[in-house]
Amino acid sequence: MATDLRISNISKIYPGCIANDNVSLQFKSGKIYALLGENGAGKSTLVKILSGVISPDNGEVFLNEKNLKLSSPLDAKKNKIGMVFQHFNLFETLSVFENLSIDATEDNKSLRVRINEIFKKYNFSIDLDVPVLNLSAGQKQKVEIIRCLLRSPKVLIMDEPTSVLTEQETEELFISLKKFCDEGILIIYITHKLKEVLSLCDEVAVMRKGKVVSVSQTQNEKVETLANKMVGQKLAKIKKKINISKNKDEIFKVKHLNFYSDDPFETNLVNLNFSVKKGECLGIAGISGNGQNELFQILSGEIITPNTSIIFRNKEIAKLNPKQRREYLMAFSPEDRISQAAVPELKIYENVALNNFKASNFFEKGLVNERKIKDHSKKILSDFSVNTDNVELKSQFLSGGNLQKLILGRELITAPELLICYNPTWGLDVGAINYIHETLIKINDQEKSTILISTDTEELLKLSDRIAVIYKGKLSKIMSSEEVTPEKLGVLMGGGSID
Amino acid sequence: MALYFFTPFIAIILTILGGGIIFYILGFNPIEALKFYFITPISNLYGLSELLLKATPLCLIAIGLSFCFKSNNWNIGAEGQLTFGAIVGGGVALLFYNQEGFYILPLVILAGAIGGMIFALIPAILKTYFNTNEILVSLMLVYVSKLILDYLVVGPWSNPEGFNFPETRQFSDSSRMPLLFEGLRIHAGIFLALAAVMLSWFILYKTYLGFQIKVSGLSLKTAKYAGFKGKTMILVVFMISGACAGLAGVGEITGPIGQLHRMISPDYGFTAIIVAFLGRLNPFGIIFASLVVALTYLGAETAQIFLQIPKYTGQVFQGMILFFLLASDYLLFFKVKILSLKKNELRH
Repeated sequence: MATDLRISNISKIYPGCIANDNVSLQFKSGKIYALLGENGAGKSTLVKILSGVISPDNGEVFLNEKNLKLSSPLDAKKNKIGMVFQHFNLFETLSVFENLSIDATEDNKSLRVRINEIFKKYNFSIDLDVPVLNLSAGQKQKVEIIRCLLRSPKVLIMDEPTSVLTEQETEELFISLKKFCDEGILIIYITHKLKEVLSLCDEVAVMRKGKVVSVSQTQNEKVETLANKMVGQKLAKIKKKINISKNKDEIFKVKHLNFYSDDPFETNLVNLNFSVKKGECLGIAGISGNGQNELFQILSGEIITPNTSIIFRNKEIAKLNPKQRREYLMAFSPEDRISQAAVPELKIYENVALNNFKASNFFEKGLVNERKIKDHSKKILSDFSVNTDNVELKSQFLSGGNLQKLILGRELITAPELLICYNPTWGLDVGAINYIHETLIKINDQEKSTILISTDTEELLKLSDRIAVIYKGKLSKIMSSEEVTPEKLGVLMGGGSID
Repeated sequence: MALYFFTPFIAIILTILGGGIIFYILGFNPIEALKFYFITPISNLYGLSELLLKATPLCLIAIGLSFCFKSNNWNIGAEGQLTFGAIVGGGVALLFYNQEGFYILPLVILAGAIGGMIFALIPAILKTYFNTNEILVSLMLVYVSKLILDYLVVGPWSNPEGFNFPETRQFSDSSRMPLLFEGLRIHAGIFLALAAVMLSWFILYKTYLGFQIKVSGLSLKTAKYAGFKGKTMILVVFMISGACAGLAGVGEITGPIGQLHRMISPDYGFTAIIVAFLGRLNPFGIIFASLVVALTYLGAETAQIFLQIPKYTGQVFQGMILFFLLASDYLLFFKVKILSLKKNELRH
């Protein structure tokens, strides 16, 4: 029986951002559909609406012309919409079979029979009685898929399924997905990897800033054309004047940066080499999850890697912790504002005290110098126009933009020579974004350097003097931002190559 | 925030109610039984002195534990640190068993603190340098220290004139805590506990170490980002915690006990975990909590005498306090929603 899924005029608005703007799409069984887009393009919101996790402000979903009311994940299940999330929802200590039987409605015996049928049909082989924690990422994903298949779904949605898989596992997954498709299951494949779209999918819908910008047959597309659509022809409005002076000193130089992790959710970094000149902004682009987290933590000293050389102002600092690096006038603004850069339960002045070094005298002879910290905090609040002057306020009452201003202020008021920031404007409204962009440009004007790791290409093109792209833990060659086009960036971010 | 300090009171009220129900089921008049449990023990001067006597070690240990717990280090082995502190302190006291001198007691106390500190350093070092789990290591070390004590009081340190009883010689008077009042057992150890309260308040709220402990407890990621020396801090909080437990141990053997034997502590080290949480890891909250929990020890003894029920009911009450505290913490912010049967049927 053919399945026909139609999304009609879906809108979802969050404070300060339109996640889905009047999205309409149509899917028919027998094909694999790709939903392509950058971080924050609105893919996840749309998928969450389809799986009943959130409800849209406007618009309707039709399955075979029946209007669906999806107010909980249970509704999606009842309507035979299956979903495999990027992060698995499995009980690690239970066996595979126990995981599958948790929400089953039949008795164990017939369930086992049905699971074995699925195994036979799709050539799966997983030991049903081992605990899930002994499985590889690919096998865990199969368990999730089997869980969906047991409910004989009409629609199967896969959210970034290959991000934790090896090449081999990816190939296996593609074979299975094609089989499901032949069986008549409608497959929606969410990704930002361009090559996967071309090799697996029949039709591709590209989303950008909450809108569907194009729907096309993949056979008519190439990596470049898709990249173009995904990133868009973003023209920076207040693009800064590029620092051309090439003979400036290199103040920061990284050599042989390697990082290996056993955690499948972490990305290994492979031989990164780069340097930053005085007064320059080096942008590092990439889709999130390609090693930016790990890179930031290594640059800030939270992770110390062996055999790496990091030279800052002619000193080797690779073995120093973040506090010691601050003494050499480095500053850091991590992506995670609310559980890393600041603690919401702490008062503003206590959060300011986190960036403490000898010259600040916040702690004299091991004692808290509260007055000094508070005076310093007041200066930050006024210099960086945070909309409060109460340093006793708990940070959780600050809006995202004001918290970010506080964090940047805390890092910048010490006049660092190098600021490393990671997605500094993530989730902020336009006003706060502009303020932070202006601040970052001002630092470069004062001959201080910045490294900007960001998943927002527009921001990178606006602020960087040179740009490199990180993909699967590898850094592309570093390009001057004059030679970079959004299209080139898109290709590199999607794993393609340019010459 | 106000609720945060209010839940311990809810827990105590629920514990009393729960205790009443248990007494009722056992066939006692609940009001009368609860009176024997919570009022009779402290209705005279001697009872009050006993209350403070029992609260002293609980308070000391809980203060130490609050340093660990606040910074996300789960030291469960205070009982072991108490025992080892008592062994080292007791060892010094036994060295001077036939001597007098003002310097002996300070030496014994110091030895006890160092003993506890060293014993707490074992799980701390294993955690920082070998990535072991401090909960398991510190807990298992409790049994190690108890066996060491067992060996010593039966073997090399047993009293030569003691008819092979498993106990050491009596300590000399110079190794004993001075009594505060004639005829009451309350001793100078209570000042150690009060000093620990003051000092811990100062460290936790007024020093860089306290700030680091606070931040690490709220977010380890932030502590790492700020560049706090995580390893040093773990060692320091374990040392503080171990020293406090060691002091509690030495306070017991130089106070009411006066020698080493197998039963130097009715699991003060474990009960103090309840005290620490009931006191919200706050130094002054811990004073209050230690008095409440000490009362369950006393109540259990009076109940044994007057109601002929085992004194282990004390542990039932302690368990209930923790149970209700955790439950009220967990459930207080829950919204109760009653689903109709119809909807439930639909789901299946």
